[in-house]
Amino acid sequence: MTGDVILVVEDEAPMRRFLCSALTSHGFRVAEAGTLASAERLATESQLAAVLLDLGLPDGDGLTLLRQLREWSHAPVIVLSARDREDDKVLALDAGADDYLTKPFGTAELLARIRVALRHARGQAVPDDPVIAIGPMRIDQARHEVAVDGEPVHLTPIEFRLLALLAQHAGKVLTHRQLLHDVWGPRNTHQTHYLRVHMAALRRKIEADPARPRWLITEAGVGYRLLDE
Amino acid sequence: MTRTSRLARTYGIAIVGVALATATGLVVHDHVTIADQAMLFLPAILVAALGGRGPSLAAAALSVGAFDYFFVPPRFTFAVSDMRSLITFVVMFVVGTAIGTLVARLRAAEEASREREHRTAALLAFTRDAAAATDVEGVEAAIVDHVRDVVGAAARVEVPDIALHGPVAIRLEGEPALSPEQHAFLEAVAHQGGVAIGRLQLASAARDAALRAKAEELRSALLSSVSHDLRTPLAAITGMATALRERTAGENEELDTIIAEAQRLSRLLTNLLSITKVESGAEPRREWVPLEEIVGSVLTRLEAELAHHPVAVDLPPGALARVDPILVEQMLLNILDNAAKHTPEGTAISIAVTREPDAAVIEIADRGPGLPPGPRGQVFDKFFRGKTSAAGAGLGLAVVRGIAAAHGGTIEGLPRDGGGARFVARFPDGAPLPDVEDVEDVEDDGLANAS
Repeated sequence: MTGDVILVVEDEAPMRRFLCSALTSHGFRVAEAGTLASAERLATESQLAAVLLDLGLPDGDGLTLLRQLREWSHAPVIVLSARDREDDKVLALDAGADDYLTKPFGTAELLARIRVALRHARGQAVPDDPVIAIGPMRIDQARHEVAVDGEPVHLTPIEFRLLALLAQHAGKVLTHRQLLHDVWGPRNTHQTHYLRVHMAALRRKIEADPARPRWLITEAGVGYRLLDE
Repeated sequence: MTRTSRLARTYGIAIVGVALATATGLVVHDHVTIADQAMLFLPAILVAALGGRGPSLAAAALSVGAFDYFFVPPRFTFAVSDMRSLITFVVMFVVGTAIGTLVARLRAAEEASREREHRTAALLAFTRDAAAATDVEGVEAAIVDHVRDVVGAAARVEVPDIALHGPVAIRLEGEPALSPEQHAFLEAVAHQGGVAIGRLQLASAARDAALRAKAEELRSALLSSVSHDLRTPLAAITGMATALRERTAGENEELDTIIAEAQRLSRLLTNLLSITKVESGAEPRREWVPLEEIVGSVLTRLEAELAHHPVAVDLPPGALARVDPILVEQMLLNILDNAAKHTPEGTAISIAVTREPDAAVIEIADRGPGLPPGPRGQVFDKFFRGKTSAAGAGLGLAVVRGIAAAHGGTIEGLPRDGGGARFVARFPDGAPLPDVEDVEDVEDDGLANAS
């Protein structure tokens, strides 16, 4: 994978420079695009490892590129967005983006997101092993058992399903819609308060201090993320 | 005066007419029949009848007398020898009365129509003035002017609070006696005036609303473009500074400051946008949220700022609030950030959530210097800054109040027993609590892909 490039799609030159220099200094190869048109061209020319995508581009919507990309590529796409653009983020995530970064962000966040995205893309998170270990948690998917710090924790079937889903995508954000769809089925994707109530209950069982969650993080207006480091 | 002289003239005409008829009759007496002589009196009665019923009857009576005396044999006596003359008398009376009545009726109709015309003209003049008025005061002045012209009394206009095309009240000074016509006029003016005022009020309300909307639109457009233009370089600065920080070994206060200040600026921008959003009247997206989720999210985001303050959280598990989670997170973030900035290191901050039957209450209390002296609630004013040295544009707490208000809720800043400040936010549910049992039910059979 070292030969693959990360495509940086960002119209603001200083921001693009920062992204490119941060990535190259950590050993990634990058291709950069400032417009939708050049991004489309670069995407077909290169073997993509991942895409960093700013949604507001001068010649069109980043979502357009995302949808096109998803027709033929599984390369992880990380959307770059502002804090008050939660709807855009959800739209992008539900359209196939893998994660997002809220501007402003630092190199540490950027690299952490890229690492998670690349790991998932390489298939390391696909649970060949039925047991997933994250921090103090051990999630045995075959036996439906969860232990925190070696102590077994009783979860309801829904709590277990939520935790397993998040653990399979550890480090990545999952939208309310994705979680509701996978746990309750396609007809229940609007009952967000079910999800919130069960998440709160789950957090009380796995977090040492549920008011200061260390692992099960709320992404306000977007969804949830289970940290893995 | 004019009335009596007019009366005298009409009766005078009757007398002169009858006298002329008599004189003519006497002159032509030898050449005509008695019937012709009777005819001579008809013009006199007709002419007199134009003066009304009284003169017409008087002329008829005089004619009968003169005819009898001068022409009916035996002449120069009032005696009557021939029954035929009696018929002539009766005809003369009937003709006189009929014509007089007709003329009187005509005259009354004419009088009424003139009166109507007068009233219509007055009303028309008023309507024109009221329509030309550009404000409520102008309409009131028109009412006062025209009422004075028609009724002759000074008037005071009372506009009901919600006029909306209802009549206004017209109070007359000295309560003069009014003719039915004047009364009708006043009623019409009250209604027309009400309509005019209602129209002006509507127009001015519409104009105000349009202006407000336009201003709001401008402000939003300006702020979001400003915020975009500020955010973009800020993101680059933060990125570059963290990249530099990564490459620099050991302590580097300068770089840390750049990063921290850029983050502060970013938070300030978020507040600026929030207050615009909240003040533009955008409806918060309310849903049932467990408050521990919001509190947890805020404490995670403020980990660095609250590093030197022990935070105690008292939160009943599963306590729900019907709020916009993003906005309330912003609100709590501002209060806590404010507390962290304005209280000495090491002092405790507490967060307590309580459920009331139809509301959720969040209280954040600190052990700092307390609220600055001054009117209650001023800390929530835009650009209000306490006397502390801590920096801040004074937007944070204004956003807090804006968000509480957008939810139909309240926020209070209160002194705390034993020193410190207490912020109490109350969010009314506005809807019955969701059935959480319902949620539990789903567990048994609602799993889509139970593994």
